[in-house]
Amino acid sequence: MTAPQVEVLLQTLIAGLLLGGLYALIGIGMTLIMGVMKIINLAHGELMMVAMFIAYWLFTLLQIDPYVSVFIAAPVLFVIGVLLQKFLITPVLKVDSILPENQVILTVGIGMVLSNLATLLFKSDYRSVSVEYASQAWYLTDYWKDAPIELSLSFAWAVSFLIALVITAVLWFFLTKTDTGKSVRATAQDLHAALLMGVNVNRMRMLSFGIGAGLVGAAGCLFIPIYYLYPALGGQFTLIAFVITILGGLGSTVGAIIGGVILGIFESMTATYVGMGWAPVGRFVIFVAALIFLPGGVASLLRKRRVGK
Amino acid sequence: MKRSLPLIILGLLGLTPLLGLSSYIMHILIIFIMWSVIGMSWNLLGGYCGQVSFGHAAFFGLGAYTAGILYHHAGMSSWWGLPFSIVFVAGFSLVIGFIVLRLRGPYFALATLAMGEVLRVSAENLTWLTQGDMGIMLQQRTWVGKVQYYYIILGIAALTFFLVKKVIESKLGYYFVAIREDQDAAESLGINTTFYKTIALCLSAVLTGVAGAFYTNYMGYIDPKVVFALHDISIVTIMVVMVGGVATYWGPAVGAVIMILLAEVVRSIPKLGAAHHTLFGVLLIVIIIFLPNGITGDFGRLKKMFGLRNGADVDKLKRLLGFGRSSS
Amino acid sequence: MERLRHLSVLVMVMAVLFAAEVFAAEPLRLAIPLPLTGGQAKFGEMMKRSYEMAAEEINAKGGVRGRKLALEFEDSSAKPEIARAIVEKLIDVKKQPIIIGEYTSACAKAVAAVAEERKTPYVVVASAADEITQQKYKYVFRMNPPNAHYSDGLMSYFKEVVKPATMAIIYESSDFGSSSAKDMVKNAERAGIRVLVNEKYEKGAVDFRPILSKVKAANPDVIFMVSYVMDAALLMRQIKELRVDARLFAGGAAGFDIPEFVDNAKDAAEYVVTATLWTPQLTFKGAREYAAKFKSKYGDFPSYHGASAYATVYVVKDALERAKNLTPDEIRAALKATKMETAFGPVQFADKEGFQNQNFTDTYVRQVIKGEHETIWPAAYATQKYIFPIPKWRERR
Repeated sequence: MTAPQVEVLLQTLIAGLLLGGLYALIGIGMTLIMGVMKIINLAHGELMMVAMFIAYWLFTLLQIDPYVSVFIAAPVLFVIGVLLQKFLITPVLKVDSILPENQVILTVGIGMVLSNLATLLFKSDYRSVSVEYASQAWYLTDYWKDAPIELSLSFAWAVSFLIALVITAVLWFFLTKTDTGKSVRATAQDLHAALLMGVNVNRMRMLSFGIGAGLVGAAGCLFIPIYYLYPALGGQFTLIAFVITILGGLGSTVGAIIGGVILGIFESMTATYVGMGWAPVGRFVIFVAALIFLPGGVASLLRKRRVGK
Repeated sequence: MKRSLPLIILGLLGLTPLLGLSSYIMHILIIFIMWSVIGMSWNLLGGYCGQVSFGHAAFFGLGAYTAGILYHHAGMSSWWGLPFSIVFVAGFSLVIGFIVLRLRGPYFALATLAMGEVLRVSAENLTWLTQGDMGIMLQQRTWVGKVQYYYIILGIAALTFFLVKKVIESKLGYYFVAIREDQDAAESLGINTTFYKTIALCLSAVLTGVAGAFYTNYMGYIDPKVVFALHDISIVTIMVVMVGGVATYWGPAVGAVIMILLAEVVRSIPKLGAAHHTLFGVLLIVIIIFLPNGITGDFGRLKKMFGLRNGADVDKLKRLLGFGRSSS
Repeated sequence: MERLRHLSVLVMVMAVLFAAEVFAAEPLRLAIPLPLTGGQAKFGEMMKRSYEMAAEEINAKGGVRGRKLALEFEDSSAKPEIARAIVEKLIDVKKQPIIIGEYTSACAKAVAAVAEERKTPYVVVASAADEITQQKYKYVFRMNPPNAHYSDGLMSYFKEVVKPATMAIIYESSDFGSSSAKDMVKNAERAGIRVLVNEKYEKGAVDFRPILSKVKAANPDVIFMVSYVMDAALLMRQIKELRVDARLFAGGAAGFDIPEFVDNAKDAAEYVVTATLWTPQLTFKGAREYAAKFKSKYGDFPSYHGASAYATVYVVKDALERAKNLTPDEIRAALKATKMETAFGPVQFADKEGFQNQNFTDTYVRQVIKGEHETIWPAAYATQKYIFPIPKWRERR
């Protein structure tokens, strides 16, 4: 391999890793919602859009940095999530219907309302926040003068990658070490058993939808410095979140991170060596393959290894 | 009376063009019948057999592109797309069924969703075959008027209706419902679930594909973002059935009428027009909460709803069990 | 019998007079399909504003044939079958004798097919796909030049100033993106430029770094990009970050051509050139006034989409006034004979190079200089001299 080829390869890997962190961030909220409630939330991306609008207006009107907005938008989204669960999703779970997939259509309705309201309120203009660090990067040649190749690492992307790791760690701690977290997991694993053990299943569901929404809210705030915002943006990220969730394993936070990174690197590699237009195909092929050959996602592999030891 | 109702409605629909309706109304009718066809075929797989597909756009798009590609590359009339799409989509659905039908519940839904997206992106990238994003445009459609198109799609709809009815009232139908209600129990009764699910998928896919081939002929222009659309085809299909009535003969037609009328009427109201998605979404939420089996499906139950309040706890558990079943 | 005939003539004359009297007060209703929701709504909105501005001006000066012009808008959400339904309704139910509007090429194709079948003239405002006016349609007219000509100005800039030997093309997965790229490959071949990378991306992509590092390794003289608003900004931001140094960064109209591009790409947008069909600095009568008015009203300069929409209303007014009566065929004949100056440039619908009823205008090149889009090419229209060669990323501060 010549130097330029190595450079392309390494730069692609870096890009894939960072992209994976970002994807994981979006997927973590969904893995919780899908893991606990087994519902497909097609309004996930729209919730992120709402958070991005919050971050956008906080920045534009009050000059609050998007990274600070995480602490405002995430709680707001948490409340939205709890309300959605309490007043819309719970009633639907209760009604008797032929197809349980009713809830999915419900979330489609919610998504439609959210994105249409955003269009009505804020027009369909494309917006972005102009933070200083948006296109800052570290360069290899700045630290090593005679490097044969040039690599760069984007500041904003690296930060969101780190925060994704932190969030995963906190969430993992919450789910495995606290009582509430254990109840959430119990609900996820066996609803009836949890019910019998005296877990307030409804509260756990509200909590997990709330946390899921709050997480995607945080993702929105971390996302806005590197991307942009318009009302119809949700859909594509909902799909990505699904892929991460399935790839990582339902309800597994660590799985989401690993799944995100796998997907990120795979997509970047496809973009460089096959063609960028094909990257989405790769995404869904991985997805279907995971569904079939690895039904428990990456998390099931992790578990197996632990058992093996 | 009840037995001949379909024939009476078919007769009435058959006479409709004689009223001399404007071509706008005819267009709405054609679109409505087309959506009924798609809804009915989805219902066969989703409503009766319980396999909720989020990727019917894949079959619709394949049918549409069969017609388009025959026209564009083989120089044949795009009407050949109708028979050819049957063969082609059937073959495709067998392959895809082999992959996705081993999955259950939400996993099946997600896998079909992915299938639709894969086809869309592939159609965008296989430029040599599909013209990519530039789409395929018919130089000239066969007829300027609407009447011919109307009768063709009405014929397709009638065939679909009677086919679905025939299948559901046969032994096949009972197997389908058994699979929907409890797949493991059905299996233990000796029903080859994979085989019957494949039949349901294949029939459903083929009928949807024919509607797609019709779409090419009728609209005269297709591109991947239009015919493989996740939201505008796959999800609208589900909405049509859910709103109208899951696992009912007339549900899809009722759903199609409501969805299309509503979209047309609300969209045309000045000032309110831009909000039509909001109203749509709200309607959807209301229907899902209060009429979970759709308008036709819950019509009889509307009255009984009050009686169901007793024994709330038992009911609750039952519902929870019903919910748990889907995700196992 | 004779008397009867006289009587009937009298009645008819009176009826016509009466009708004229009544209609004098009745406004001329014109409903326009365009995308007001969904991903394309940004341009729909810009065009809507421009249509309204033109109609207001026309009404202030006495309207069309003494009647006020009343515009209505119907949202097609950029979906062809909705666009088709709208147009069928306009033609059939509302008996509208002329159709204008739509934005995406897919919708314009659907509308054009209906218009031709129903023998109602349709003026395409800003849809680029070549095929729209290559179908031998008699009733379809187009204001903007077809995609094949979008880069004419850019190519002459290449030839005279940049003189590139190699090129990379990155384009969005859409009708516009694909056909622009296809036309650019042809143009490059003709000009003897080698295309090293030719890549498509799914609209809304987050990360262009993989493809950009590939481009960087290929080291082309020119990077030509066809993108929507924000993809364009994102591309340039990541190009800056990766320090991909080409001799020229060129955009193929659309996203590169509107102020949001500079707002969002910031300093990464500096020195980027873009092909365009119109600029607010052109000297056509009314062009600057329109741009200034738009800017003062909505806080932004419009792009060629808006200008074309604005001019279209004037073209329609002109045709409606020249038409003998307001039947589709007379209006079509009047449109065909159009020869006028507008804020968008001279308008004339010609049949040539396989196109029918196609307005051919010059295309221009703009460059972002000190954060503003300046017209740089053809030299005759330049508001500032082009900056070439451009500094490398490392040297920029």
